[in-house]
Amino acid sequence: MTAAVEAALDPEAAQAAIEHCYAQGWSDGLPLVPVSQPLLDRFLDHGGRPADEVIGRMPQTGREVTVRTAAINAAMAGCEPQVFPVVLSAWAALMRERAASGGAWQSTSGPAPLIIVNGPVRHRLGFNSAGGVFGPGFRANATVARAIGLIVRNAFGVHPHELEQATQGLPGRWAICFGENEEESPWPPLAEELGVTGDAVTATLLRTCEYVDNRHTGDAEQVLADFADTIGRSGAWIFRTAHAGVILCPEHAQLLASAGYSRAGVAAWLAEHAGRSTAQLAAVGKDAAPEGIRGPGDGSEDAAGFQRTLPGPEKVLVAVAGARNAGISMVVRLFADWSGASVPIPATEGR
Amino acid sequence: MPNAILDPTGRADDTASERLDGLAERRADLHGLRVGLLDNTKRNAMLFLTEVGRLLVDEHGAADVAIVETKAAFSVPIDDEVVARYAGAADVVVTGVGDCGSCSAAAVADGIALERAGIPAAVVLTDAFGITGRTMAEVQGAPDYAWITTEHPVAVLEADEVRERARRLLPEIVGTLTRAGAAS
Repeated sequence: MTAAVEAALDPEAAQAAIEHCYAQGWSDGLPLVPVSQPLLDRFLDHGGRPADEVIGRMPQTGREVTVRTAAINAAMAGCEPQVFPVVLSAWAALMRERAASGGAWQSTSGPAPLIIVNGPVRHRLGFNSAGGVFGPGFRANATVARAIGLIVRNAFGVHPHELEQATQGLPGRWAICFGENEEESPWPPLAEELGVTGDAVTATLLRTCEYVDNRHTGDAEQVLADFADTIGRSGAWIFRTAHAGVILCPEHAQLLASAGYSRAGVAAWLAEHAGRSTAQLAAVGKDAAPEGIRGPGDGSEDAAGFQRTLPGPEKVLVAVAGARNAGISMVVRLFADWSGASVPIPATEGR
Repeated sequence: MPNAILDPTGRADDTASERLDGLAERRADLHGLRVGLLDNTKRNAMLFLTEVGRLLVDEHGAADVAIVETKAAFSVPIDDEVVARYAGAADVVVTGVGDCGSCSAAAVADGIALERAGIPAAVVLTDAFGITGRTMAEVQGAPDYAWITTEHPVAVLEADEVRERARRLLPEIVGTLTRAGAAS
């Protein structure tokens, strides 16, 4: 770096601007990028949508979010301007989730968006889809997820301890965004199987993630049974059924595909086998759901009867991500249900 | 002169909620009044409200429980249509039980909406949700709005305990719905 460039970077000015953002209450706890009109203009150019277009409403508080407000938050989150179309598509995908326009952002569950990117855009913008997808280290992944959190905080006015009432929240809130590992997946891209080819976002809200480490068997059904056992865990049930999915590592996905399983085949197997016996559920006070909410039953049910966790095979999210270096996959527990829809990422020019 | 740092809230364009200018007018007592109950779907809420309704009729002279509805979405405040139904059918309304993040805030908004429509309302939240209730009251233009607080949790109580809770909160509910309590 030349002396002239170093002199132009004024750390004291940057620190003062960052502290200003903290003082306004805009931050999620980490430093924000202070946004100026020229930076906003670059985001709006890349967004390709009218600045005043309303892209979300929160009826609880009468607040709404426009493309302009979303762009300011995406810029504050550290996104590059060319990533803004992904933020807009991720937001649109989340707005399709029934819970996101209900009470999700205020919930005691404190759910986290899960954002999965498909298409060549992953490489063009630097989205990680291989090793460490649920962890940090990649600007595009980290900042798109963070942008969603800042929009909820600032545009909707949902602040922790105030309108946001998460009992404990969960690790990874506003941090889970990755590309599908299309290169090592045995199946067509997730979004393509949902009807959107090319660049697209698929998203839902998670209650949590739980890993399944199973690297010492080559038997597809044994691996599936391990997923099913984790999906069936009683702690995750509060309603009659619970939604879940699996983010398969390439090794597991390839093992299952070579045994003849499609994405839908994996979903069907898990829907059939994930669950607990009534006796197991009775032991934790969750064996009955007369009005849809689980609680202690009256003992009239057959104790050996099997209760399935998933409501059916249709909306079980199955995606492929991570490194092809071990049999470690992630069960994702959905906060509510899943729209099962993907949203295209439009190609925009920008300046 | 450097560029200004932009505000990410979008609030500059917002029109703040109209301030609530006093509560709905109260009668001195509940004699002959029609009671409305608004259930927010949470476990034990309907049982609690049903018992409160029964006690208001049996012991405080209310005419009857004239309207009982369960909210379509516990997390979202009721709309004008629901408010109008209650305004047409009831003279006072009891609602709750707010025992979750979104439903507690929404219950406070419901109470304020009913007061704006001229219907005295008693809102019951558990004590775990005071801050979120207060934030929503501020959002709705009624920063001093008062609700009734009960011990958290309510969802785990047995039926007899729910009825006992209704009995215990009854004086406060009656006070809130009549001139006796509204004066404060």
